[in-house]
Amino acid sequence: MDEPVVHISGFRMDFADTTVVRDLSFDVRAGETFGFLGSNGSGKTTTIRALLGLYEPTAGVLHINGRPFKPEHGSRLGYLPEERGLYKKEKVMDVMTYFGRLKGMDRHSARQWSLAYLDRVDLSGKAATQVDKLSSGEQQKVQLGVTIMNRPELLILDEPTKGFDPVNRRLLMDIIAEQKNDGATVVMVTHQMEEVERLCDRIILLKDGTSEAYGTIDEVQNKYGGRVVRIRHTGPIPPSPHYEVTLEETNYAELSITDDTDEAAILRELMDAGMVIRSFTTTKISMEDIFIRVYGEHNESPSPAPGRLAATRGA
Amino acid sequence: MAQHNLGTVISFEFVRTVTKLRFWIGTLSVPVIMAVVFGMIFLSNTSTSTAAEAQKNAQFSISYTDASGLITPADAAAFGAVPAASSDAGIQDVRSGAVEAYFEFPAHPESAAVKVYGADRGLFENGKYAAVAQAMLARAVAVRIGSPQLSGLAAGSAQVETVTYQGSEVAGGMNSVIPPMAFLVVFYGLVVLLAGQMLNSTLEEKENRVTEMILTTLKPTTLITGKVLALFMVGLVQVAVFASPILIGGLFYRDALSIPAFEFSQLVFDPLRMTVGFLILVGGFALFTTTLVAIGAVMPTAKEAGNFMGVMIALIFIPFYSVSLVISEPHSPIVQVFTYFPFSAPVTALLRNAFGSLGVLEAAMVIAILYVGAAVMLRLAVRLFQYGSISYTSKVSIRTALKAGSRHAVAGPAEK
Ligand SMILES: Nc1ncnc2c1ncn2[C@@H]1O[C@H](COP(=O)(O)OP(=O)(O)OP(=O)(O)O)[C@@H](O)[C@H]1O
Ligand SMILES: [Mg+2]
Repeated sequence: MDEPVVHISGFRMDFADTTVVRDLSFDVRAGETFGFLGSNGSGKTTTIRALLGLYEPTAGVLHINGRPFKPEHGSRLGYLPEERGLYKKEKVMDVMTYFGRLKGMDRHSARQWSLAYLDRVDLSGKAATQVDKLSSGEQQKVQLGVTIMNRPELLILDEPTKGFDPVNRRLLMDIIAEQKNDGATVVMVTHQMEEVERLCDRIILLKDGTSEAYGTIDEVQNKYGGRVVRIRHTGPIPPSPHYEVTLEETNYAELSITDDTDEAAILRELMDAGMVIRSFTTTKISMEDIFIRVYGEHNESPSPAPGRLAATRGA
Repeated sequence: MAQHNLGTVISFEFVRTVTKLRFWIGTLSVPVIMAVVFGMIFLSNTSTSTAAEAQKNAQFSISYTDASGLITPADAAAFGAVPAASSDAGIQDVRSGAVEAYFEFPAHPESAAVKVYGADRGLFENGKYAAVAQAMLARAVAVRIGSPQLSGLAAGSAQVETVTYQGSEVAGGMNSVIPPMAFLVVFYGLVVLLAGQMLNSTLEEKENRVTEMILTTLKPTTLITGKVLALFMVGLVQVAVFASPILIGGLFYRDALSIPAFEFSQLVFDPLRMTVGFLILVGGFALFTTTLVAIGAVMPTAKEAGNFMGVMIALIFIPFYSVSLVISEPHSPIVQVFTYFPFSAPVTALLRNAFGSLGVLEAAMVIAILYVGAAVMLRLAVRLFQYGSISYTSKVSIRTALKAGSRHAVAGPAEK
């Protein structure tokens, strides 16, 4: 039980002469929901494909249940690839039963399960419809159904909610949460930070092909300042070794606490400096803010892109 | 698990093909086109006599006996024919190779058949014996025209029965060629009809973007093998559909359709040739399918794959362009090359097998080449599919795929 479900260490991936992922290591533990985060092009999909044996890693160890993944090992995997697709010219039910059978269900239970699932996601009338006659969101629902057929032990979802409206996104998150409650281990790529906060136990943040932050949400939040104080006030904010002013408007400010000073001590410090405080709340730094901090601002990576852009502009 | 999956893949691939309307339109159109073509051949049947004309001039040594007394020594000499002592002696001469042909003219050629015995020269050449025998008779009676009975003979309507010898053995003639030839027809039909589907069968996963789901659910070997077997079954369905009107027509309505006398019971089924034909058919089909599947795995779209398929088909059917060479000179260097080059081997070897010019050793080698070739191609196709088909939009580098595959193979046993 102590053995991680997913174990990656020293993973490196080169395409031709570009290195896309380097020295990436992390574990996913049994039963947890793991958020696999990172900006576009940071190497998430590449890592998943290498983990599932679709790409040959340049270096490193990528294990599922202690060995490299092979479909014939019979580990119950539910994989929702980023590149979605089903057999388009077949009927919804035929495709679902086909995959159900490949995943080890018998024809009858695959049909029963599919009918119930289609009912649940509001597609009850579409069992006999050809897949390409469905809207793209509907096709995605079918695909998620295929993914979670036969109660997978490990779910790997590459952007499961992309392309869904808010109602269906909620439905989907509920379905994923159910899988988790049933004991499935979930690895999820997403760009929706509220989903991360709602569902994930632990996360990894990928930047430029390697780990930028890794741990529980709390641990990651602490790494990026952890607690944030929001105040409505009048009067200037005094400098202090205990916090950093991250936002300052006329009567509103956000302070990021940089050490483990108690919130009450901070409040006292501000009032002692003669400020009038009308409201004082402390929160955790949001994942969204962390994301923007990591990828948005000090993005001084030595990428050739800006130079090239400048050159084109100059010409 | 794998076994069960293979069955699942086969039934899915098979059922989804044969339940499509498009499939049946394509399949049923073939017998219709065949009927039209046969009709046209029937209407233009007269043209075949020109070919016989040419063969009449072919020179070969002849002996004859004439019970009718119509043929004078002068007529015979014009054809270089010499009298034989008796019917038995004439046949013996053919079997020993002393003469190439012996004609036995009956007492009443207007009602009884002229019997022609000749050394087996292959299907196309054997026709010359009957042509010359008829010409001899026609020349002999030309001087006696006046009786309606004789003018019928002069017009060339005498019946001729031909028996040919391979060495001293009676050769089956057309009747022994047809059964093993059926394998060539089936092969040809399967390839022409299924080539597109074979190519598309792996492109399908790519174009529908299902590759990732499939490859993480089952072994690529199971998928590809399942697809190949399903295609073979689809092919058999098609062959059955095409054959059904011929068989039904032949068996039940022969008289009504006035099909020329053709007795199934007269067909000679040589067990060795039939076995060889069957093995070549299956091996050739397997090689061809796995090759197309491999091409499909490399190419990003059907359009680009189509170009390669054209080349493949040309290679396979190139022996047809030299069909007379294949039949008449099976040991010429070019025919040897065609026989052993894997992609031209099926057609060449099936032709030679049908005409009885494929030795047992040669057959064994061809069969071995085809099966080994198919196995190698299957492995290649699987690898290309496994490591290449995620590149949905670009061509797979074969070298990359193979390198990845071999590294995988090396890495495998290192894990415990
Ligand atoms: N088959 C490939 N050949 C060459 N380069 C590739 C290939 N696949 C991915 N890359 C490159 O690797 C980098 C990482 O791609 P990847 O798809 O893993 O990103 P991602 O983190 O999933 O991004 P997104 O959030 O946009 O899905 C990209 O720069 C991409 O161009
Ligand atoms: Mg991605």
